Amino acid sequence: MLGMLRDRGALAMSFAVPAVFFLIFASIFAATSGENFQPRVAVADELESQWSQTLITILRDSTNLELMDGTYPADEVRRLVRRGAADAGLLIRDVSQANDSSASERSVPFTVVSDPSRGVATSVLTGQVQRAYARISLSSFLTRAPIVEEENVAGRDAGQNNIAYSAGAVAVLFLLLSAVHGAVTLFEERETGILERIVTGPGATVVLVNGKFLYLVVQGFVQVAVIFLVAWVVHGVDLPGHVWQWTLTTLAAAAAAAGLALAITTAFTTRQQAQTFANISVLILSALGGSMVPRFLMPRVLQEVGWVTPNAWALEAYTSIFWRDESAAALIVPVGLLVVAAILGLAIAQRLTRRLVAL
Amino acid sequence: MPPTNNTVLSVVGASKSFGAKVALNGVDLSINSGEILALIGHNGAGKTTLIKAISGRIRLDAGEIRILDRKVGTDPSVRNLFGLVPQSIALYDHLTARENLEVLGRLCGVPAREIPAAVSSALEQMDLAERANDRTANLSGGMQRRLNIAAGTLHHPKLLLLDEPTVGVDLIAREGIHDQLRELRREGMAILLTTHDLEQAEELADRAAVIANGQVLAIGETRSLVSGIFGDGKELILTLVDDPDPSGVDFLESHNLSRVEGGMTWTGRVTGGFEQVSALSSGAASAGVIVDEIRVREPGLRGVFFHLTGSDLTP
Repeated sequence: MLGMLRDRGALAMSFAVPAVFFLIFASIFAATSGENFQPRVAVADELESQWSQTLITILRDSTNLELMDGTYPADEVRRLVRRGAADAGLLIRDVSQANDSSASERSVPFTVVSDPSRGVATSVLTGQVQRAYARISLSSFLTRAPIVEEENVAGRDAGQNNIAYSAGAVAVLFLLLSAVHGAVTLFEERETGILERIVTGPGATVVLVNGKFLYLVVQGFVQVAVIFLVAWVVHGVDLPGHVWQWTLTTLAAAAAAAGLALAITTAFTTRQQAQTFANISVLILSALGGSMVPRFLMPRVLQEVGWVTPNAWALEAYTSIFWRDESAAALIVPVGLLVVAAILGLAIAQRLTRRLVAL
Repeated sequence: MPPTNNTVLSVVGASKSFGAKVALNGVDLSINSGEILALIGHNGAGKTTLIKAISGRIRLDAGEIRILDRKVGTDPSVRNLFGLVPQSIALYDHLTARENLEVLGRLCGVPAREIPAAVSSALEQMDLAERANDRTANLSGGMQRRLNIAAGTLHHPKLLLLDEPTVGVDLIAREGIHDQLRELRREGMAILLTTHDLEQAEELADRAAVIANGQVLAIGETRSLVSGIFGDGKELILTLVDDPDPSGVDFLESHNLSRVEGGMTWTGRVTGGFEQVSALSSGAASAGVIVDEIRVREPGLRGVFFHLTGSDLTP
């Protein structure tokens, strides 16, 4: 106890940080309860009539939806939903015989463009469309419910998509946790004198930190491989069909996790501080980044904040691969950012390790 | 000792302060190839600071250090010339002896193709070949110490820096380590070891340097250091029962005896035989000094250390 009382950093980690941690988690999970869920919707208005404009206005005014500005061509709506930029899409179809208002009320079909793994968004949108339709119908109690078709544009089915997402989410979480555990061994090497022996050698700390980085990347890659192999064998996630894209993403994610873990742990002077802060950081990053709750369920602000996490970019890449079946070009940004994070983390760790040795 | 063609380590005017604390104050020393120099001093005397300065861990405020005429701190190739054996067992517990040497050898710059031969040679030299595949945690303390030394010699350095290399080992194990160090010396390695163990220094070192408050008070062969202080006399050690009163102190000091810091022991030099000691004992009793024990022995580094620093150095 005396040791902790004299270590202000450890005191803060043990008593102040958990309270902050709770506040962050409470705001994330409270916002994902569903009560505040506002799916982002892209709209294509093929009809372009006053009636359709009124419908769109009613939907835009709804507190249960967040309509994207303007309207889009139908194919663009499909692309936005497939890429995840919109949680669902609405196509107001142009029916050739609907030239008078009475015909438009009865016979305009709606197509809800959906991503099966965001079934909540689809359900909410369908309900709001029906509600809006009923409001603007002249004789609502005699009007049939509108024809709402559903068009799936992403993944094979919701179950498969969710499993692929879960595999990625869990993989990144454990990548970070394992990387932290491995990085903290630097303190053991300092305590035993190994660090002193190495730092006076030809390679100095560069050799040691680079070696740890490479080891953590390999360890992380194998770890994620095990998770996805299980996902393939047990749940049929198409790993063989996307192996090179998966390999590229996993290497980048493992490198980012390794770099960040090394940077975080070397920022502290005691093992206790480093371990505590790093573990809490991993949990916060994972919560914000979508490893615990799908990001699309979070408020828009938290979704945007989540982009600073490696989890979000890794999941974006895995989603592109397994969920949206997108081309390799879709991996450039997420994988590129993960690689940048890896390089930055490693550079910071190299610098901070020299300071650690001097202490 | 002026540098010669065999000089491996040269320290000239080394000074270093940490804030108001002066850790090194104009230290001069050198070591030749095939020589063991023991650095003797209390905790905080500057031994570790000097080791760190030689190994490049800290930058001196003044002076310079050269290893084989290459300046420490500016010439990166210096790192290949020395090996460091820390006081702690700087090894991976969960690895075997062989694995530790392989890993540390690579980290210390031994080329991959040379590792197997270097490791085997080091294990043979340290008499650890039979335990090469045992985990380090399962080795005895003495074996771990020998392995610790082996890890510092893998890259065949010209200079070996050892910080208290036999702490915590029994006498038999210590003798084994001494044998290994003598073997390294025979092979031409220059060895600097820090120690609290004066017997070790006497037994092992070719020369000894006494350091206190960041300064080297004396450096030379053990016999030279002893004869420089005791001449052809012997060391006299008086252990008292109680603190002497002022007249007792006067008596003791008048016979060139000095108190060992913090204890009941007084020491000095005697040149006469039994008669001198007997007369001293009688005189002490008359002066009210109650003596518990009188010893006369051949002077050694312990006496030298006390004479120079006024304190005892116990392991």
